[in-house]
Amino acid sequence: MDTKPRLLLVDDEAAITNNLAPFLQRSGFQVGVAANGEEALAAVAAAAPDLLILDVMMPRVDGREALRRLRQAGNWTPVILLTQVGEASERAMALEEGADDYLNKPFDPHELIARIRAVLRRARPGQPPLAAAARLASSRLVFERASRRAWIDGREAALTPKAAALLEYLMTHPDELISRDRLLDAVWGWDYPAGTRTVDTRIAELRRVLGDDAAQPTYIETVPGQGYRFVGQVEAAR
Amino acid sequence: MTVDPRRGRGRVSPRAALLALLPALLGLGLTLLLDNGRLANPVLYARADLATLLLLAGLAVSALLLAGLFWSARQRGTLAEAQARAQEAAAQDRRRFLQRLDHELKNPLMAIRAGLANLAPAGDAPGEDEQPWRSVDDQVRRISRLTADLRKLAELETRPLERTHVDLAALLTQVVDFARDHAETDSRRLNLSLPQAPWPLPPVPGDRDLLLLVVHNLVDNALKFTRPGDTIEIRAFEDGAQVVVEVADTGPGIADSDLAHVWDELYRGQTTLSVPGSGLGLALVRAVVERHDGQVALRSRVGRGTVFTVRLPLKPAPAR
Repeated sequence: MDTKPRLLLVDDEAAITNNLAPFLQRSGFQVGVAANGEEALAAVAAAAPDLLILDVMMPRVDGREALRRLRQAGNWTPVILLTQVGEASERAMALEEGADDYLNKPFDPHELIARIRAVLRRARPGQPPLAAAARLASSRLVFERASRRAWIDGREAALTPKAAALLEYLMTHPDELISRDRLLDAVWGWDYPAGTRTVDTRIAELRRVLGDDAAQPTYIETVPGQGYRFVGQVEAAR
Repeated sequence: MTVDPRRGRGRVSPRAALLALLPALLGLGLTLLLDNGRLANPVLYARADLATLLLLAGLAVSALLLAGLFWSARQRGTLAEAQARAQEAAAQDRRRFLQRLDHELKNPLMAIRAGLANLAPAGDAPGEDEQPWRSVDDQVRRISRLTADLRKLAELETRPLERTHVDLAALLTQVVDFARDHAETDSRRLNLSLPQAPWPLPPVPGDRDLLLLVVHNLVDNALKFTRPGDTIEIRAFEDGAQVVVEVADTGPGIADSDLAHVWDELYRGQTTLSVPGSGLGLALVRAVVERHDGQVALRSRVGRGTVFTVRLPLKPAPAR
């Protein structure tokens, strides 16, 4: 029996699916292809895949709508959204609608593989992902998604909008090594020329606000030369 | 040569208005003289009529002059407004076009990158096919970076700004430290001058990451366009209600014909074609500074050097 994870790749551009599907197969996945949200929903109903890669801008039922219908039906198949505009609002939307992760086009195909593996490793079959939780808790820290506010031991921690977005991304991807470049793309939506410094400055700000010690981290660990990892155990909170 | 993007509006100067009032005053003066009989006038019965006539004539001439002044001022004003509107419309068209270009490039680029990943030479041992593949991959990455920069420009129009108190001194120090890691910096004198007395640079309201991008692009530009042995000075100071950041260099300078265009998207001056870059660095600088209600300016002399100036308000503008 084939135990390779089964992916459903959904994009209306044949040029993309024709090139991306073989790449994903070569990387050790079984790949099905759908051309729009309607086809995707039908394919999910017919043969539940392990993960969906869903383009946002598609004719008929777009990726966002397909994701919404899926989640409303209580289907928690992991989803990676391929966003087009790259705007901050679209990134925030991706997490709010219950996507497990997202990538801005055009992305490095190897980054997609890394995202797929991380999401599959994190997924708890049949259960909502952390990305669908309204409040996240780790140790003494509670983070409320909609208002982007954080509390330590019940006392509110003052976060700048960017620090809040960074914390949200880290907390919805716990125990995952995330490179500075990936954080820039996911949280800022841009690569910055001095980008790695930008990330480091914000992480330092976050640690200061959370009272986290970089040498003995409760929350954010630095992986030298590679990036950051949220080491605290994260749970959906009420 | 100095380029200032601000334009004057048509208005009537107080001096011109006073001059226009002169005939009326003259008429009034003569009328008073006649009425008081201090002027010897043989035709006594005509005195009153003459006085009235003089007053009316003076008033009429003044009214005509003032009307003329206001009319021409209004014409100038309308012209300036029309020019400003046309410029704004052209800038918007350009941004919309860049946005569309970015959208249209995204999917084909995605397909090419996926295709290239498929064609990647297998294994760790680089074979004969490695070299051409690598070269194509590099070029595709280059176009990807360009589309990313186009997206930044388009996004800057709508992106919500984070408004915090930004410590520009710390930010400048960070950028200069970063620049000192650059290979080019070894052969250039890089000086940072920050005020300490009577007080250090006050914080400016703004988006820290975007302001970092501004300073970084200006310093990066200076490094790219100067030659070994040149000096680059980065200085910041308070000026009234603004903080001014200047990045000055003793580089080759910018030709007069290029000066007005260096802030434009994708513009590359005649002498800069050989220097790698997207042609979007300064356009981004301008877009960010304008979103912060600041101004950019530029002074340059060929053979002497260039000064880029960024002015940022100390008080946030009312929310838009």
